[in-house]
Amino acid sequence: MRLASPQPYEDLGHTADVGVRVRGATAEEALARLVLAFAALATGGREVAVEREERVAVAGGPELAGTAVALLRELLYRLATEALVPAACEIVRADADGVEARVAFGRRDPELHAEGADLKAVTWHAARLEREGAGWVAQAVFDI
Amino acid sequence: MQLRRIEGDLWEIPREGRMRVPGRVYSAGPPAPDDPALQQVANVAHLPGILRFSLAMPDIHWGYGFPIGGVAAMDVERGAVSPGGVGYDINCGVRVLTTALEEEDVRARLHAVTAQLFRDVPTGVGASRAIPTLSDRELDEVLEGGARWAVRRGFAAASDDAERCEEGGRLAGADASAVSARARARGADQLGTLGSGNHFLEVDRVAEVYDPQAAEAFGLVPGRVALQIHSGSRGLGYQVCDEFVAEIARRRPEFGPDYADLPDPQLAAAPIGSALGQRYLGAMQAAANFAWANRQVMTGLAVRALLHVLRISERDLGARVLYDVCHNVAKLEEHDIEGARRRVLVHRKGATRCFGPGDARVPEPYRGVGQPVLIPGDMGRYSYVLAGTERAMRDTFGSSCHGAGRLLSRGEALRRGRGRSIAAELAARGIEVISRGKKTLAEEMSDAYKDVAQVVAVMDAAGISRLVARLEPMGVIKG
Repeated sequence: MRLASPQPYEDLGHTADVGVRVRGATAEEALARLVLAFAALATGGREVAVEREERVAVAGGPELAGTAVALLRELLYRLATEALVPAACEIVRADADGVEARVAFGRRDPELHAEGADLKAVTWHAARLEREGAGWVAQAVFDI
Repeated sequence: MQLRRIEGDLWEIPREGRMRVPGRVYSAGPPAPDDPALQQVANVAHLPGILRFSLAMPDIHWGYGFPIGGVAAMDVERGAVSPGGVGYDINCGVRVLTTALEEEDVRARLHAVTAQLFRDVPTGVGASRAIPTLSDRELDEVLEGGARWAVRRGFAAASDDAERCEEGGRLAGADASAVSARARARGADQLGTLGSGNHFLEVDRVAEVYDPQAAEAFGLVPGRVALQIHSGSRGLGYQVCDEFVAEIARRRPEFGPDYADLPDPQLAAAPIGSALGQRYLGAMQAAANFAWANRQVMTGLAVRALLHVLRISERDLGARVLYDVCHNVAKLEEHDIEGARRRVLVHRKGATRCFGPGDARVPEPYRGVGQPVLIPGDMGRYSYVLAGTERAMRDTFGSSCHGAGRLLSRGEALRRGRGRSIAAELAARGIEVISRGKKTLAEEMSDAYKDVAQVVAVMDAAGISRLVARLEPMGVIKG
């Protein structure tokens, strides 16, 4: 399922950093929402114009939470070095070994996205991608 | 969580389960038992080789792995190194420069001064190109040379700037070859940039002196102008930490059950003596040197900005580095522990070294009074300069607090800031603030932080570091 920004997310209320939680009917849907929550933090929730679409594949683990962290780390590196921000995302495969995603990227605009957070890193603290009730929950804490 | 009072503002989390040592927390009043930061203090006590206590300073707040405000000393032979005990912003730290300017010299031109600093020191998300992008070879020189590299390149207030930094502005043992291509890519064009969030460059006035002898040694004169720079290793340091946390987390089963079963994945640790632990230390020390060079380049840029806008000579400005301290670092140090001199790896994650009088590791001009301990507060109130003590050497591995500590999440700060102009509120109190984004000002407003006066009072009362002077902001630039 391809999801485009904006998507709903909860603020975990972390004192020092920023934590987000999202939900989905499947692990793939929850992880795609987590990717778009990351993008919303980076842009201050402002729109991103799509420039290109790419397949992003990274090794993951331990467990699904580690896979979620691995994907976000890769996307953060692209943001930091190429100013690329996800505008839409489809998770093709996600398991404890890794993840494959199709991501539509736009560019961070210094003016339009000036209220976005300076995301330093994706932490492993409290990272989740797991079943909860009938659905799935994903969360991550970003160092800012 | 049950806590017991040891004395005064010092509280103990008793050892239980697989904790190797108790936790100890300095706190004005009883810590809230449900504070997640206390659980993090207990989690740190699980690390192999931890000595005496898992410590937390009074600016403690919820971090990841270690709490912010956490201190842990590890036995070098049998202990662990944890990148989570250093943090992503390796050698995030603060320096204070003293000047010969009187408050009125700057007050009359405050807007021009603040605006010039904002123009000349790149700030904000992704800020870059304060200086030409470094080649790989130049970057190696920065990673090995730290502040000294920048002084050699002419970015300085005075020729002895680096000597007035913790460790002389350079950690020995840095291994530039352990810094990956990705980390280099994130840092090569960011030297001399401030960053965002809680990083700042501030024009302060020396508002009050509590210890005239130490203030004289530190060059702090009431009514004089000082500069404060708070920043770190930018993207290069973040990437170094990120990569080593991932690699250590993946490989920690190799190091045995003590390392495989730590209570938080962000505590991922490797034996100090292992090849991986040594490679992390080499890369971390190199990133620490990048941070010192970063603050040193900004020092040069800020000095040039002041000379330009005030149209005065270097002699009239009279700027010099008072001191520069690390907040996020693991350092090999010798300490007296239970009657023996031992080599330990002290992790300070949101904490400041504060060595006492007479210690040879304190720069000679300050050796009689103790190391300067620089404690920034928030942009609307004040900051403090303290001095290290002998008691800190006995009780906290020579460590003190590092700032006010956040009270509110950034989301809650934004909610409370809605409909307010923080810049206008500060301007009404004579503080000129320029920021890249309005949201940063709301996130960083005074209400979001503890009152740093209460935090440093705990350290003073406990005899860990003693009050020397209070600085008050006049002009602030933020990312």
